[in-house]
Amino acid sequence: MIGGAQGLGVDTAANLFGSGLSRAGYYVFGSREYFSNIKGRHSYFNLTISDAMPHSIDSGVDILATFDAESIFQHFNEVRRHIIYGKAFESMDISSIRSMEGEIAEEKAKILEDAGFETNVSGVLKYLKSKNVKAIPIDYDLLMRSVLESSGTPPAIAERARNMICVSASFSLLGLDKQMLLDGLQPFAKNKTFTALNTIAINEGYSVTVDEYGMRPLKLVGHRIQADGNTLSALGKIAGGLRFQSYYPITPASDESTYIEANQVVKTSDKDSGIVVLQTEDELAAINAASGAALTGTRSATATSGPGFSLMNEGISWAGMNEVPVVITYYMRGSPATGLPTRSGQSDLKLALNAGHGEFPRIVLASGDHEEVFNDAAWAMSLAEQYQTPTIHIIEKTIANAYSIMDRSKINAESVRIDRGSIMQKPTSQYRRFTFSDNGISPRAFLGSARMYYTGDEHNEFGHITEASGNRIRMYEKRIKKLETADAEIDWKLRLNNIGESDNVLLTWGSPKGAIIDAMEELAASKMEVQLLQLRMLNPYPSKKVAELLEGKNVIAVENNYNAQAAEVLREKTGIVPDAKILKWNGRPITRDEIVYSVSKVLKEKSKKVVLNAGD
Amino acid sequence: MQEIDAQTEFNDWCPGCGDYGILRAVELAMKEMKLDYKNSVLVSGIGCSGKTPHFVQDDVAGVHTLHGRALAFATGIRLSNPNLKVIINAGDGDTLGIGMGHFVSAGRRNANMVLLLHDNGVYGLTKGQASPTLRRGEKTKSLPEPNINDPINPIALAIISGYTFVARTFAYDVVGTKEAIKAAIEHKGMALIDILQPCPTYNDINVNDWYKSRVYKLDIDPVVHSESERNSKITTAIIKSFEWEERIATGIFYQDETVPPYEERIKGDITNYLDYVPADQTIENNRKSVTSIDAMLDKLTVV
Repeated sequence: MIGGAQGLGVDTAANLFGSGLSRAGYYVFGSREYFSNIKGRHSYFNLTISDAMPHSIDSGVDILATFDAESIFQHFNEVRRHIIYGKAFESMDISSIRSMEGEIAEEKAKILEDAGFETNVSGVLKYLKSKNVKAIPIDYDLLMRSVLESSGTPPAIAERARNMICVSASFSLLGLDKQMLLDGLQPFAKNKTFTALNTIAINEGYSVTVDEYGMRPLKLVGHRIQADGNTLSALGKIAGGLRFQSYYPITPASDESTYIEANQVVKTSDKDSGIVVLQTEDELAAINAASGAALTGTRSATATSGPGFSLMNEGISWAGMNEVPVVITYYMRGSPATGLPTRSGQSDLKLALNAGHGEFPRIVLASGDHEEVFNDAAWAMSLAEQYQTPTIHIIEKTIANAYSIMDRSKINAESVRIDRGSIMQKPTSQYRRFTFSDNGISPRAFLGSARMYYTGDEHNEFGHITEASGNRIRMYEKRIKKLETADAEIDWKLRLNNIGESDNVLLTWGSPKGAIIDAMEELAASKMEVQLLQLRMLNPYPSKKVAELLEGKNVIAVENNYNAQAAEVLREKTGIVPDAKILKWNGRPITRDEIVYSVSKVLKEKSKKVVLNAGD
Repeated sequence: MQEIDAQTEFNDWCPGCGDYGILRAVELAMKEMKLDYKNSVLVSGIGCSGKTPHFVQDDVAGVHTLHGRALAFATGIRLSNPNLKVIINAGDGDTLGIGMGHFVSAGRRNANMVLLLHDNGVYGLTKGQASPTLRRGEKTKSLPEPNINDPINPIALAIISGYTFVARTFAYDVVGTKEAIKAAIEHKGMALIDILQPCPTYNDINVNDWYKSRVYKLDIDPVVHSESERNSKITTAIIKSFEWEERIATGIFYQDETVPPYEERIKGDITNYLDYVPADQTIENNRKSVTSIDAMLDKLTVV
């Protein structure tokens, strides 16, 4: 774990660390936590390094790499083996850290006091010694003097080298070759100041520690990429034919839109295609502009998070009524209201499932890891057109902002299938946009190709307003029938992941998937085999298959919310009530050791509800 | 014959409604400019004016949207297919009340669209509440007390928001309205026509005769020929737009084609944007994606 004040390059340092590890042949999952703040508040990356692709973090930290005092206080009680810290901070007391929230400072001070230590960094070091954690002091001021002298950069810029010193010290501690870290600077070769500064910092930091983990380079096959959830969603949408994206700035969704804008000219066969990215005045405009674009036959989408999604409700209802293939990428964060704007959560599932007034079909997908984010983002673009209805793709903040080092071959545009659904190529003068059909799907013609009408009012087959009872009954049913068609057509294997076989099934959706998969081996070793049932498509709900898989099983719901919303949906759709719940709503992702802990509480101590709280 | 009838909605506006004049002007302008579903879209908001696309007697395409959001839908349609002319019909409550954010933002973008503001001072379809253009102190038929809000001046607001074509007409001056619509469609940039219309059912103050005795044709040169003229043209237009009690100016208040439309701005980033518009792009071949993400993946490749 590496922590430090926001705006001082923690992200850059963690990314360079990850890229160094990838060169050594390791996979990395890096979870990012930060405040709703531009500069100065505590942010950190928690990384899992593995020879197989990891999808989660642990609440225990082997190496805590710090270059300020706040990170020490914030995370000391999570450390298991090593802490790298600034020597100059030893006498600093927790009460002097002004940027630390009072509630956290109080909590951390209490841990020290209860253990009989002072509430300063020296006290922390004593506490850690009692836990057999090795402390590695760094004289940052001395090293920074040397960095300043040899780089000649102004002190304000050179400050950013502190984080590279501690990252390099960690790299050395792992036993990996310095050159692999230095090679990570290559993409920045044009920025001479950045490269020079960080080269010196890496050299200085590397000599502070010695190999204590004995990690050795692994054989590398193929290429690896480093990408976060926002980027992978953007890539999936682009490969899926996205040509119009509207958005209003909101955390943690906007990164996706800015990435698309930065890459808005794409290669398609023999020519360039342009993707229009429209920053709108609000989310009302974002959803409705996207719907407008969809009517012209352009694959279109928007991206938002809770507060923006709430504003989009009326537009989603219109899109449902008018059978508009529009995709809404829903970045889920801590709610209600502004909630925890930069933290994660799963408390809006029922909003996604019920958004917009009225009954109309909508498709709801939720991705459980980075690979799924890419695939689902592309898939959503087709589902929307196949069933001509709003399609919501949920990506939680924890997945959006975490990065993975993954095999490049997993992100493959060639594997993306594009199904444009039923399209009327040569509409006649009698074209009826909402023609009645057995499966509810009416062939689409695009604006510009036929006489047609859209209206939010109930309408006849031409799209004209009508309040006639008979038409209302048929048209209403026609719309809703599309969901039954989708349910019948979409293979259940794409709609859920069923992994392992056991009497005890962990039922989840979204990010807990990663922690569960990563914990399954350890659970099995402790004679607590579990089966994972992860819902990837929550509407249409694969009711029959889920009921069949859960028949006679001990069902344990695992969710990042208070009410176990997906479990409530399970009950609604199948009548099955989970036997126990594992819940967490502190805005932080469920860690893999928390899965082991909570499953053991449920299976061995027969707990019906376990509430988790790891993560600072 | 029967089937063709089914394609047009029965017109249910009140007798004497100003919307009839606007509808006729729209139909004539489209006919004279050879606009139909192939090259244009009629977008509308909610309220009496929202039904306009359904009532047009020709081969058009209509998108009747949400209250306040017509401009947002229109922007999506226009930017994804800039080959389509987009004409928006929306009321004063729709545009200047619930949809005000979009009204201002449309000016900032200056996309090539025409907004026909059905301006009658009341919310007709909800039984005559005061709209944002009703004068303070006026008590139209169904108001329990005189209106205590000051009115918005749509002309002035449009100009300072960046609209580059701003006109006002009277709904029953069908020819004048038609000509203004044609000029607005030909204009390169965001156009507003504030169309004064009587609401014979709920606005018993600004009735047909009231308007007829006040409206006159503007005698100014509204065109900004160079940037140096802009301030003086804006000033003249805004001063004229505030005339009301005695005389009400109609005609083009302001026109400025020195400002690049949004489509041109996008072209700055996507050079073939207007030659290969998003709506026309091929995205698949035999159900396989034809979009390469290789260049993006190259940048993400760490080893």
